[in-house]
Amino acid sequence: MSDRRAPSRVHRRTFLKAGLTAAGTAAGAAALGFPAVLRAQVPTFKVGAIHPVTGPLAEPGQACRLGAQMAADAINAAGGIKSLNGMKIDLIMGDTQTKPDVGRTEAERVINQGAQMLMGSFDSGSTQAIVPVAQQRRVPFLVDIAAADPITANVAKAVKEGQQKVQYVYRNFPTGSSFGKKAVQYFSEVFQEAKVSPKRVVLMYCNDLFGQNNAKGFQAAHAAAKPGWEIVDVIPWPEPPQDLSTEVSRAKAAKPDIIAPITRPASAQLLLPEIRKQRLDILGVVGPGSPGLYEAGQIAVLKEDLEYVLNSTPWANFRNRRTQKVADEFLKRSQGKTFDTNSGYSYDGITLIADVLERAKSTDPDAIVEALRKTNFTGGLMQYAGPVVFNEIGDNPNAVTTMIQILGGKPVAVWPREAAVQKFVFPRPKA
Amino acid sequence: MAVGLTLIFGVMRVVNFAHGDMMVWGMYLAWLLSTRAGVDPYLGFVACAAVLFVFGVGIQRVLVDRIVDAPHEMQILLMLGVALVLENTALVAFGPDPQRVRSPLRAATIWLGPVFVDVARLVTFALAMALTLALYLFLTRTDLGHTMRAAADNAYGARVIGADVRRVYAVAFGIGAACVGAAGALVSPIVPFQPAGGLGLSVASFNIVIIGGMGSLPGAFLGGLIVSVAESLGAVFLSPSMKELVSFTLLIVILLFRPAGLFGRPAP
Amino acid sequence: MKWVVAAAVALLLALPAWLNSYAVTVFIFIFFYAFLGQAWNIVGGYAGQLSAGHAAFVGVGAYTSALLSARLGLTPWLGMLVGGALSAVLGTVVGYLGFRFGLRGFYFVLLTVAFAEVCRIVALNTDAVGGALGYYITFTGDPRQFQFQDNRAYYYVALGLMLVATAIVAAIERRRFGAYLIAIREDEQACEALGVNTFRYKMLAMVVSSFLTGVGGTFYAFYLFSLQPSSVFGIPLSVEIVIRPIVGGAGTVLGPILGSFILSPLAEASRIYFGQGGWSGAHLIAYGLLLIAVVLFLPQGAYPALRRLWLRSAR
Repeated sequence: MSDRRAPSRVHRRTFLKAGLTAAGTAAGAAALGFPAVLRAQVPTFKVGAIHPVTGPLAEPGQACRLGAQMAADAINAAGGIKSLNGMKIDLIMGDTQTKPDVGRTEAERVINQGAQMLMGSFDSGSTQAIVPVAQQRRVPFLVDIAAADPITANVAKAVKEGQQKVQYVYRNFPTGSSFGKKAVQYFSEVFQEAKVSPKRVVLMYCNDLFGQNNAKGFQAAHAAAKPGWEIVDVIPWPEPPQDLSTEVSRAKAAKPDIIAPITRPASAQLLLPEIRKQRLDILGVVGPGSPGLYEAGQIAVLKEDLEYVLNSTPWANFRNRRTQKVADEFLKRSQGKTFDTNSGYSYDGITLIADVLERAKSTDPDAIVEALRKTNFTGGLMQYAGPVVFNEIGDNPNAVTTMIQILGGKPVAVWPREAAVQKFVFPRPKA
Repeated sequence: MAVGLTLIFGVMRVVNFAHGDMMVWGMYLAWLLSTRAGVDPYLGFVACAAVLFVFGVGIQRVLVDRIVDAPHEMQILLMLGVALVLENTALVAFGPDPQRVRSPLRAATIWLGPVFVDVARLVTFALAMALTLALYLFLTRTDLGHTMRAAADNAYGARVIGADVRRVYAVAFGIGAACVGAAGALVSPIVPFQPAGGLGLSVASFNIVIIGGMGSLPGAFLGGLIVSVAESLGAVFLSPSMKELVSFTLLIVILLFRPAGLFGRPAP
Repeated sequence: MKWVVAAAVALLLALPAWLNSYAVTVFIFIFFYAFLGQAWNIVGGYAGQLSAGHAAFVGVGAYTSALLSARLGLTPWLGMLVGGALSAVLGTVVGYLGFRFGLRGFYFVLLTVAFAEVCRIVALNTDAVGGALGYYITFTGDPRQFQFQDNRAYYYVALGLMLVATAIVAAIERRRFGAYLIAIREDEQACEALGVNTFRYKMLAMVVSSFLTGVGGTFYAFYLFSLQPSSVFGIPLSVEIVIRPIVGGAGTVLGPILGSFILSPLAEASRIYFGQGGWSGAHLIAYGLLLIAVVLFLPQGAYPALRRLWLRSAR
């Protein structure tokens, strides 16, 4: 080969190669480090808001981002963090694309750009990948939305067993296990209040992360609570499904009084019309908690099929006067979307962070964690069963779900009583 | 849908990995027609087929033609690239959320005793059968069809007798794409579609075509029936979420023991 | 040539001293995906057996070491070997079925995809491995558990993995084994006619490739701590694995590395610059276009083309 023929040429070529590689790598490294230099000027408190704004969860991800931004704007407009001389909150946005490796990289990127706290990230998989970053870099991480219990539980365990010094990960959202418990509780309470006793409930769910987790939690809670109604059949489907006629037939064969679906938007669009088509004779559709049953987009597509559907889902407290104002602003800024779980919890997350900073009076991570653990916050817009507090695992036991119902083409809170904006309609009227 | 794939393979021996994504575009075109122009998909599918025909011819002329003689790996990668571009352009253009097309037929059902039949699906089935029949007649009765089959059997021989093989290839790809466009449009009121669904549809198409036999039209048709029945049975007897497992296992078994499928010719 | 490589390695070793943690993370993924691509290269590049289901091996390795660590307290330093071994077993099965039954080209691709999807669906439905929720590994930062408090430690591990895989591939290329693989890729029937046991060599390539990929799975598990069936067995991961050697140069020693250095920054940049608006997935469009371009114009990948360019410029 030509290598052997001309030794002098080898030197020039290899020198070129080595030089170019070095230059390329250095340029690349410099480019990666560059943004950090630009941002170091105005002293603001930077929060990395990381959500899946692109990819399959783009819609809720974008809602989260907007909710967070609105909260930051509101806080800054009101004067910022007073105990830190009116320091404003600046959000550095990140996108997980619903992938754990991207989640991790984005967390590192925003920290590199100056983020002193992290908030995110909706889907448990990416959220979990951000946890090590928070622990490694000592950056407090408030999980605004993500249900998987291990996210905080694992960290709490590591701290308890001495492998980690401080827990930097906290969550203000109902955990997977609490979803199930509350759902079972609400089911029984609604049945009792309506003075009907459905006996046969068929649980149908989308066989993905969220669906499986919720379904398991629901069944476990049901086994523990032993209410007067039975889960007579459990029917999962692969998400997203092409067709649910087989599943619904199977449900029908179980002679259900209630269909309890855990869906995603795609499957809900198939499931509800199918229930109608196969003429299931049921008292109602009551969901243990899932997306797909209340969003504006879903209502537009499903119309009458969604009417009277109940769903036990985290929801904003519309009896709080501020909530409606924020919802209206959200409607405007998002061009027509409802202020719901996603935007709501991200909004509350930022408001909560502001409260923590006020009490911490410092930007030191350990001081922030101290203040976090002592939180007793009542300024949230979401429906809570008490003030926002954090238990030993790092979760907020007062973050609960609300039973909502689609009435008149709009989702409204109907149960528990202290959250209800309207009275529920159950059993559903015969078609 | 599978018919289109088998046609492309049969004539050109090119495996179209972008098949599913083309179908998704068919669905989105139908959706656009329905929402912007108010055209019902059961009529609009003709337009979708036409658009995709042009697209197919274009792809063939510009890209596939260059690698028809190249090793398989190159073809696979090329179509994979096309698939990626199609899927993500759809994502950018339409967003990731699932859509459905509204059609008045969607809600109708006919009850035959304890069994019910979904009118929309019935119409789709009828139209699909009609199209397949039309295609079959085209291949067996028309000159172009004959040329196509000749080229499929023996490209060199076909050239010798004066057939414009490149044109034949272009038309074949175009028709294949048109089939899938029509399929997408016909199915759009029944099934929610999203850009990410392309891959699943491609795999399903391959399943069907492999089982029925690559290059065989009746095989593709029968393959479709077999796969749907198997999946439904799987859903009833096993857990419904395992029905994908059934079709994949079936695929593996067929690949191992009869890669030519039930009716197809052996691989080159 | 050798001292260029040494200089480059020395540079890479020294880099973390100047880089911020974000850049370190980007490099970690460059190295990691290059490692996986290099492992794939053995069976896909050299032996020419296109496997589009290599994610299956990543998943098996990842879940194995994660479970062994959590249930039996087995350190992942050993767990990765067990994971690799199990992946190799799966690789043997796939290879055996594929090669013994004479599946070539497209049919083999489909077989590998089917296996990966079967793995994914099984994992999705098996509660013991966390099902759809996934498996969540506790972060302790304990090096004995293959975890590190400092990101830079991961950098060196990833770099080490990439270098080891590259050394293995270079060794294969030099030896007769590599010559056999290339010959099989170019014309399998001729090889068989000459009496070469193609089955044996293809199997060996598959076993080595799947073992290494399985080891990579352990790195994934103990770097991200988050295992979901769709992420770790899914087709997107298989695409990431395959595209790097293809673009960089399948069947060459430096191809996967070059491919990774091209594609990872591309994905990063496209996410940062396009991720703001509705341009979701823009980097995947770029991947697709790049793939098309490579197939049409640079079918052997970037590295051989670059090499030709340099050879010409040096004259």
